[in-house]
Amino acid sequence: MSLTQVIFLKELRETLRDKRVILGVIVSPLLLTPCLMGAVMFFGSKKAVEQQSATLEVGIYQEAEFPELTQAIEANESLEITRYQSREESIEAIKTTASRAVVVIPSEARDTFLAHGSAPIEILYDPANENSSNAHGRLRGILGDFNKQQTQARLESAQLDPSFIQPTQITSTSVAESSAVSGFVLSIFLPYIVIMGAAFGGLNTAFDLCAGEKERGTMETLLVSPASRQDIVRGKLYTIFVVSLISAICSILGIVAAISFGQQIVTSLFGESFSISYLNLAALVAIVVPLALLSSAALLLVSTFARNPKEAQAYIFPFIVIFLFPAALSFVFDAESPLYVGFIPVLNIALSMKQLLSDAFDLPFFTVTLASSLAYAWVSIRLVASFFQKETILFRS
Amino acid sequence: MIEANKLTKTFRDRKRGLVRAVDRVSFNCQPGQIFGLLGANGAGKTTTLRMLGTLLEPTQGTATVAGFDVAKQPEDVRRSIGFLSNGTALYGRLTAREMLEYFGRLNGIEGAPLRARVDELIEQLEIGEFQNGRCDKLSTGQKQRVSIARSIIHRPPVMIFDEPTTGLDVMTSQTIMSFIEKCRDEGLTVVFSTHIMSEVERLCDKLAIVHHGKIATEGTVSDIKRQTGEDVLENAFLKVAHQLDAQVEG
Repeated sequence: MSLTQVIFLKELRETLRDKRVILGVIVSPLLLTPCLMGAVMFFGSKKAVEQQSATLEVGIYQEAEFPELTQAIEANESLEITRYQSREESIEAIKTTASRAVVVIPSEARDTFLAHGSAPIEILYDPANENSSNAHGRLRGILGDFNKQQTQARLESAQLDPSFIQPTQITSTSVAESSAVSGFVLSIFLPYIVIMGAAFGGLNTAFDLCAGEKERGTMETLLVSPASRQDIVRGKLYTIFVVSLISAICSILGIVAAISFGQQIVTSLFGESFSISYLNLAALVAIVVPLALLSSAALLLVSTFARNPKEAQAYIFPFIVIFLFPAALSFVFDAESPLYVGFIPVLNIALSMKQLLSDAFDLPFFTVTLASSLAYAWVSIRLVASFFQKETILFRS
Repeated sequence: MIEANKLTKTFRDRKRGLVRAVDRVSFNCQPGQIFGLLGANGAGKTTTLRMLGTLLEPTQGTATVAGFDVAKQPEDVRRSIGFLSNGTALYGRLTAREMLEYFGRLNGIEGAPLRARVDELIEQLEIGEFQNGRCDKLSTGQKQRVSIARSIIHRPPVMIFDEPTTGLDVMTSQTIMSFIEKCRDEGLTVVFSTHIMSEVERLCDKLAIVHHGKIATEGTVSDIKRQTGEDVLENAFLKVAHQLDAQVEG
């Protein structure tokens, strides 16, 4: 067994005995994340159902009678109607939440309507209030239905076919497979979560393996063993890499499990049933490998420089920015991005994941991503190795 | 054996500029002998021993340990030494037995010979009772016994002790000192640094007083007492240190 292997196996054994690592890397993404996601989806779906069925208070202020319209509004059982005498009173009612939205019917509205014109109807509401926006939407729906009925009646009275006002009949047909559509939705948030898992999963381990060892005095014990500095760097790096990879895989599995178990809720929320192929899963894990290598080397770099874990925590901010910012950028970048984006570390991985999930796989982009990420990882590893040779860093006090 | 020849270590300090932590230190130590480095905190003892242990690279000068050059053959040097200091700690999440097995493997011992050596040390140092206990749960004395076992797992011909009793209670210190004597009796080459006079008087066959990175004087305890005209080693040490300070100021 090589000395690198000896160090790696010992570090891994110690790491797996660390409860913080087990909790953060395995338990949290596999159990807590799915539970949290499930809870969010459950309450989100429950709220959506409640919003659809809840009775909302709305008002009507009419300067002149318009029975056809008011009857249509009053026929809706999910609305509780209050009449107002002025526009000011209506606005006040919305502000005090006595009514969530008010339909304002001007004096000339009915005459215009009867003359086959377009009657001006106004809806007052508060867009900053969720219930008010909801009531506004519901009123627009009712008024839309009223418009359709009246249009139909006008066409019939004029003995015209509905096609008279609809010169074209447009239908849209999706040619994407169902998995691609669901993958597209997954691609919006999954890369971010996986990158966080890969980047921060190895954080505790990295800080423990170098800065922690310096603080506890075990680094000196190891440095006087026959193991070379390269053996030590490699052994520690492989350990952090394995932990980061496990963390990223657990993040993927946790989300996929949450979506699979909550399929019904997901479908009701997004209108799509979700599925992800084993091939895509494997490709996701493969693309995470260079990222985990890069983040492991970066974390080890911070940990080697720091005198103790507390100091390492203080240096973590630039690391968070380097990984979090590009990961967050993936929300706004299209999967089909120009080739040069493949050179931007972390963002390139996130976009490659997006491509994989939404069936927009781009081989040149993927190749650039893989090659550049491995190159960045190699540079970071060389930097760690050089740090390990520097007495001023290793024995900094 | 150990031969240090004009070992020098300088480093740059933001406030003090170029600092000579160790300045042309030369000495040699033969098998079956304990060589002591006696000096105050910051005198350069640890830096000297770290250079012998290949933790630090000498800025100038050379040293050989068991026939290997510390600058050119660091891995061979490390294979030939056992290094024990108050800073060489144990891995908290490993058991005492796992700790010994780990360092055995790092020294190239595997399989049955490793098991036999670990069993031997566990018996010799009376570790059996707590061999499967995690190191972070052990008492200071128990930890020290595991540390001793760790340092000799590969039967090194040279032992380096850097203030090994600092911060330890009397009982544990006695265990360490008995162990150092045993190393000498078994024919090992031993270098030992301390600032405790009684330890020097008990253990050292030869010693060097280190002050401001330099060896101020060298010889047996009796030689140094005679040279300074003092009966008490502590007074002899202070006299040598003051003389060196006066030389530097002059």
